[in-house]
Amino acid sequence: MIEHRIGEGLHRPPGAQGPGPIPPALVQGLALRLEQRVGGLLPGEHRAAGAGSGTELSQIRPYRAGDDPRSLDAAASARTGEPHVRERVPERVLTSWIVVDVSPSMAFGTADRLKSDVAHGAARVLARLAGRGGGRVGLILAGAPGMPLSPPRGGRRAVLAVEAALGGGVATDGAGRRDGLAAALDRVGRVAQRPGFVAIVSDFRDVAGLDRVLSRLGHRHALCCVEVHDPREAALPAVGRVTMADPETGRIVTVDTSDADLRARYAAAERHRRGALQQSFRRARAVHLDLSTQGDWLRAMGGGLARR
Amino acid sequence: MSFGSPVALLALLAIPALLFARSAARARARRNAVRFPGVPVLAEVAGHETAWRRVLPLGLVLAALAVMAVALARPQTTVAVPDERASLMLVLDASRSMEAIDVDPSRLEAARAAALAFLDEIPDRVRVGVVGYSDRPYTVVRPSLDRTATDGTIRSLEPLGGTATGDALQAALEVLPRRLDAAGRRPATAIVLLSDGQATDGADPVAVARRAGSARVPIYTIALGTPDGVVEGGPFGGVLPVPPDPQTLAEIAAVSGGAAYEVDDADRLKEIYQRLGAQLSTKREEREITAGFAGAALVLLLVGALLGARWQGRLP
Repeated sequence: MIEHRIGEGLHRPPGAQGPGPIPPALVQGLALRLEQRVGGLLPGEHRAAGAGSGTELSQIRPYRAGDDPRSLDAAASARTGEPHVRERVPERVLTSWIVVDVSPSMAFGTADRLKSDVAHGAARVLARLAGRGGGRVGLILAGAPGMPLSPPRGGRRAVLAVEAALGGGVATDGAGRRDGLAAALDRVGRVAQRPGFVAIVSDFRDVAGLDRVLSRLGHRHALCCVEVHDPREAALPAVGRVTMADPETGRIVTVDTSDADLRARYAAAERHRRGALQQSFRRARAVHLDLSTQGDWLRAMGGGLARR
Repeated sequence: MSFGSPVALLALLAIPALLFARSAARARARRNAVRFPGVPVLAEVAGHETAWRRVLPLGLVLAALAVMAVALARPQTTVAVPDERASLMLVLDASRSMEAIDVDPSRLEAARAAALAFLDEIPDRVRVGVVGYSDRPYTVVRPSLDRTATDGTIRSLEPLGGTATGDALQAALEVLPRRLDAAGRRPATAIVLLSDGQATDGADPVAVARRAGSARVPIYTIALGTPDGVVEGGPFGGVLPVPPDPQTLAEIAAVSGGAAYEVDDADRLKEIYQRLGAQLSTKREEREITAGFAGAALVLLLVGALLGARWQGRLP
C-alpha cells in the first residue's frame, strides 16, 4: 500500500474561513458533558484493569534535585541512608481516534461557514478534550486519497498533529468514494485494539457499508458521531431549472426545482436519509451530535451533549 | 422533386451549427454546475430520464429546422394538370382495307367505337379535330371544343379507296394551331393516327412525320388488324390480304416523338385510346409545394416544443 502523506490530494476549498474562535473555557465545559455522555471513558475517568491508577511501583531510585518530595520512599531512604523516591507506572492512558471526513462534499456551505470548517472545528475540540490528562489522540482523514493516518500522540503534539492534518483542507472534487468513511472506520477498528473513544466527524453522505462497520466499532469503543449538515441540503429552493454536480463523483443532474412535487419528494428523501442515519447511530450506541453550518456550532455541540 | 432555389439548402448547415452550439452550451452548463452534496438523493428522487425522452424533443425541432430549410429552397413537384389549351387531331384511316373483319366486328367499326369512346374520355376543354382519309384526306374537321362535328364525322366514315397516310398527316398538321400563347409557349398538340395498312398513295408519311416532329407535334400511331386480315374483291376477284404495316407506323411515331401501338382486337384499341386520352389532355407542370413543407415544419416544431416543455420543463 502506498503511504500517502497527510495533505496530499487535498486543497483548501474556496470560501473556507476556518471554524472560528474556540474559547478554552467553553471546551472545559464541554468536557464535563462529554464525560457524562460517553460513560467515563475520557482520560482521568478511565478505570484501567488491575491496580488503581498511578499506584503501581515501577522502580525506586535515588532522589534527584527537582523530584517531588512527596514521592520520597521513607523505608528505602532509611535502609540505604540515601533519599530515594518511588517511581510509579503512569496511569493507563486512553487512546482516542478522531475520524474526520474530508471528502469533497464537505466543501459546501451556504450559511455561516463551510461544512468542512465546522467539521475541523469539531475535530479540534474533540482532540483537545481527548488529549486532556495525557490522553493519546490519533487521526484519520476519511475520503482523502490514501486515507492518511496520524498515529496516536499525547499532549500538545497530538493537538499540533491534528491542526496540521486538518490544515490541508478537503479532497478535490470527483475524488470521493461511496465507501470512504466505512473504509476509514474499518481501519480504525483494525488499528485500535484496546477499547477507546472514537469520534466521527462527517456529513455521513458516503454511507456505503457504514452501518455494519459502525455497529462493530460500537461494540468495542465509545462512539461519538458528529453529523455536519447545511440547511440547503434539507430542502431545495424553488429556483427553476438547475444543473447540479455531485462534488463526490462529479455526477451531473439537471432538475426543475420549480416542481413543487419534486421539492417535496426531495425533502422527504432527505428526512428519510437522516432518520435512517440516526437509527444506525442508535444501534451502534453512539452519541449523535448534529451540527449545522448555520449559527454557533460550538454552542450546538454543547447543546447536543446536554440532551439526553 | 426539384427546387426553385437550391442555394437555400445551405440553410441545412444550421443543424450541425445548432448541435455544436448546443453541445458547447451544455459543456458550459456542466462546467458551471452548482456543487450540491444532495445530488445522489436528488437523482434518485428525480428518476432516470430515458434516452429517447431526452433526445426526441430536440430531434423533432431539428427535423422541423431541416424541413424549414427545404421549404426555403422552394421545393417543386411535377404534377399532371389538365391542359386547357391542348389540341388533338384524330387521323382515322377509312380505306377499303378497314372493311376486314379480323377485328370484331370490323376494323372500321372497332376504330369508330374506340374513337367515340376516346372523345368521351378526354376533357371538354381539349380541342379535338378529325381527319378521315382514304385516297386523300376527304373530311377535315378543325380542332374545336364542339364535339358534334367531330362526332358526326367519325360516325359517317365509310371504307373506300386507298391509303394516303402522308397526305392525311399533312392535313392534320396544317389545321393544328401553331400560334404561341401569351406566355410564349407552344400549345400542346398531338396527332393520333389509326391506320391498318401500308400507305399506298400520296406523300411519304415518314417525311411528313419528320416535319411534325420538328414542329413538336408527336404522332401516336395505332396499327390495327391482324396479319391475316383480308378484304373481298381483289383486282381479279377473290380475296385481297390486307396486313397492317406496323414498321412504317412505328417509324412515323419514332421520328415525330410519339409512340406506336399495335392492336388486333377492339378492347385493346379502346384501352389504348383511353391511355392516350389521359396522356395527351394533361400536361406536366411544376408545382411549388412549399406550403406543405412549412406546415410539416410547423407541426414538428409544435410537437417538439410541447414534448420538451412537458418532459424537460423547457424548450429543447
